[in-house]
Amino acid sequence: MTAVTWARANLFRDRRDAITTVVAGAVVGWVVFRLLRFAIVTGRWDVVRDNLSLFLVGRYPVDDQWRVVVALVAIAGVAGLVAGQIAGRRRRAAEAAGERLEHPGPAARIVEVVARDWPILGLVLLLLLLARTASPWLVALATIGAALLGRLVGALVPPAIGRAVFVLPVVLPIVLLPFLTGPLGWDSWGGLMLTLLLASISMIACFPLGMLLALGRRSSFPALRAVSVGVVEFFRGVPLVVLVLMSDVALGFFFPRDLLPGKVVRVMVAFTIFTAAYVAEIIRGGLQSVPRGQTEAAQAIGLSPVRVTGFIVLPQALRNVIPALVGQFISLFKDTTLVFIIGFLEVLTVADAVTKQPGYRGQGLITETLVFAALLFWVGSYTLSRESQRLERRLGVGHR
Amino acid sequence: MTEPTTGPAPFADATQVSGTGDVVIELEGVDKLFGDFQALRGIDLRIARQEVVVVIGPSGSGKSTLIRCINRLEKHDAGRIVVGGVELSDDIRSIQGVRRETGMVFQSFNLFPHLTVLDNITLAPRQVRRMPRAKAEAEAMELLERVQIPEQAHKHPGQLSGGQQQRVAIARALAMHPQVMLFDEPTSALDPEMINEVLDVMKELARDGMTMMVVTHEMGFAREVADRVVFMADGEIVEVGTPEHFFTAPTEERTKKFLSQIL
Repeated sequence: MTAVTWARANLFRDRRDAITTVVAGAVVGWVVFRLLRFAIVTGRWDVVRDNLSLFLVGRYPVDDQWRVVVALVAIAGVAGLVAGQIAGRRRRAAEAAGERLEHPGPAARIVEVVARDWPILGLVLLLLLLARTASPWLVALATIGAALLGRLVGALVPPAIGRAVFVLPVVLPIVLLPFLTGPLGWDSWGGLMLTLLLASISMIACFPLGMLLALGRRSSFPALRAVSVGVVEFFRGVPLVVLVLMSDVALGFFFPRDLLPGKVVRVMVAFTIFTAAYVAEIIRGGLQSVPRGQTEAAQAIGLSPVRVTGFIVLPQALRNVIPALVGQFISLFKDTTLVFIIGFLEVLTVADAVTKQPGYRGQGLITETLVFAALLFWVGSYTLSRESQRLERRLGVGHR
Repeated sequence: MTEPTTGPAPFADATQVSGTGDVVIELEGVDKLFGDFQALRGIDLRIARQEVVVVIGPSGSGKSTLIRCINRLEKHDAGRIVVGGVELSDDIRSIQGVRRETGMVFQSFNLFPHLTVLDNITLAPRQVRRMPRAKAEAEAMELLERVQIPEQAHKHPGQLSGGQQQRVAIARALAMHPQVMLFDEPTSALDPEMINEVLDVMKELARDGMTMMVVTHEMGFAREVADRVVFMADGEIVEVGTPEHFFTAPTEERTKKFLSQIL
């Protein structure tokens, strides 16, 4: 009877409560019903199903899609190795401190992973169900297998050698990108793969750049400060669309076209610098949030200025700004859709284009394709957000 | 300065050290300005090896500024400061050299919250002295034994009480094997019941022969441990003396007034 007691206390305490509950319940119920009906009954998902590979990898040639599979497996393996190594280090540190970490059984671990990563797992399951063939299942199994294997091996590698594991995420893109672009060059990339490529490379590149700009702005060298302020204020003051367009057309007026890198690289640079300008200001705020006493204590024990920043101020500053940084990264992730204006076949372009295919033209299927595109972005953004919260909790250990 | 009627004679000025050790800290005509406000006026002070000098005085008298000038957390505007044979100048190497030889303990502990106690202590020896991790950690554990909290080595500062944090801060400063320890009101931010555990560690240090300069309001500590007590007011050294002289027969009017207010 606890449910009834709870409902009475929280939903039907008095007449006004009861009316609110009934009305709100009816509205929510109706919306949920319409959504479910659209998702399961009225929605015509065949337009998504038939164009799934266009959504995911654009016009990447079928004969070369095995490269994407290899890349997925490699990324999963490396991610597993790094996660395993970190977990191993934490366990050793806890043991050194005389604490015992609990070892959940495999069933509990699975529950934990599902509870943590349900958006991405759900999306993968949805894609597999949509695909209707066997090969994607094999790809998914291989990817999960690689992640698990990496996790196990990573935990076993002793920290002394394990340091090398942290180099892998840096080396991986350098190896994978030429491998992926090999047959056709990057300018014909498209779909979710293009979005992930643009977002991840720009995120990785804008971070150190933003950090340098933030530190430059606090530097005691006037020239360095002026350059940092100039870069930050200029790129924050220009709309991203303008930068994207300029990366495509305007650069050719200033530099010889032969010397310019490909279109994807140029737009990547635009995203990187634009985001770096915001990241710089976020990190500068973080640097200011670290108490003066921290710097003084670090100076007093004889650390050089570089080490004071690197070991004491920056780590605390970055921890303080994780939420703001991740917000900026989510923004970047979604802003990559803007490359449609310079002719890339990214997810939104696909969502629009497939409704104009001969079999689907004029049937108003844009709702279905847009909902699917939105789902792809939502899963990515939400995963970023959740992972950042985990990181915050973990770094917050013992911090008052 | 007039001769006191009772008790041992006061020191002629703050450059006259007690004992026979060589001079480790030497200040000559040190001025410090914050804008228009003169925080220090012509400070002359010498501290010899193994001496314990306690600096007292009303708030705003320049005590903290003085101690912070000695390791260049504040830049003095005139005069000379020599620590362990190195004169402080704008040269970053001279500043680093002085900071390596001086340990500092702050009122608000200023432990690094993102590092464990052990990492707080070993950071400087490993990074500045290039000591191998194993050796640095072994030394850190010895220091933690000395300040009586070895069991806290793997915790973060936020998990410790104020008294424990301040003892870790002392261990952190000692880890660089400094010639001098500077204490800037080390017990002022502590709850009363934790003050003694920190003072005990400081007394122990003094007994072991550490050269110390201590800004404090703990008169009991000054009386028990100090070789010399320096009284400051309005940015000047007003009176210097042994604790006996100071607490029984102060000479200067300002000293008498201050002591009557706090005792």
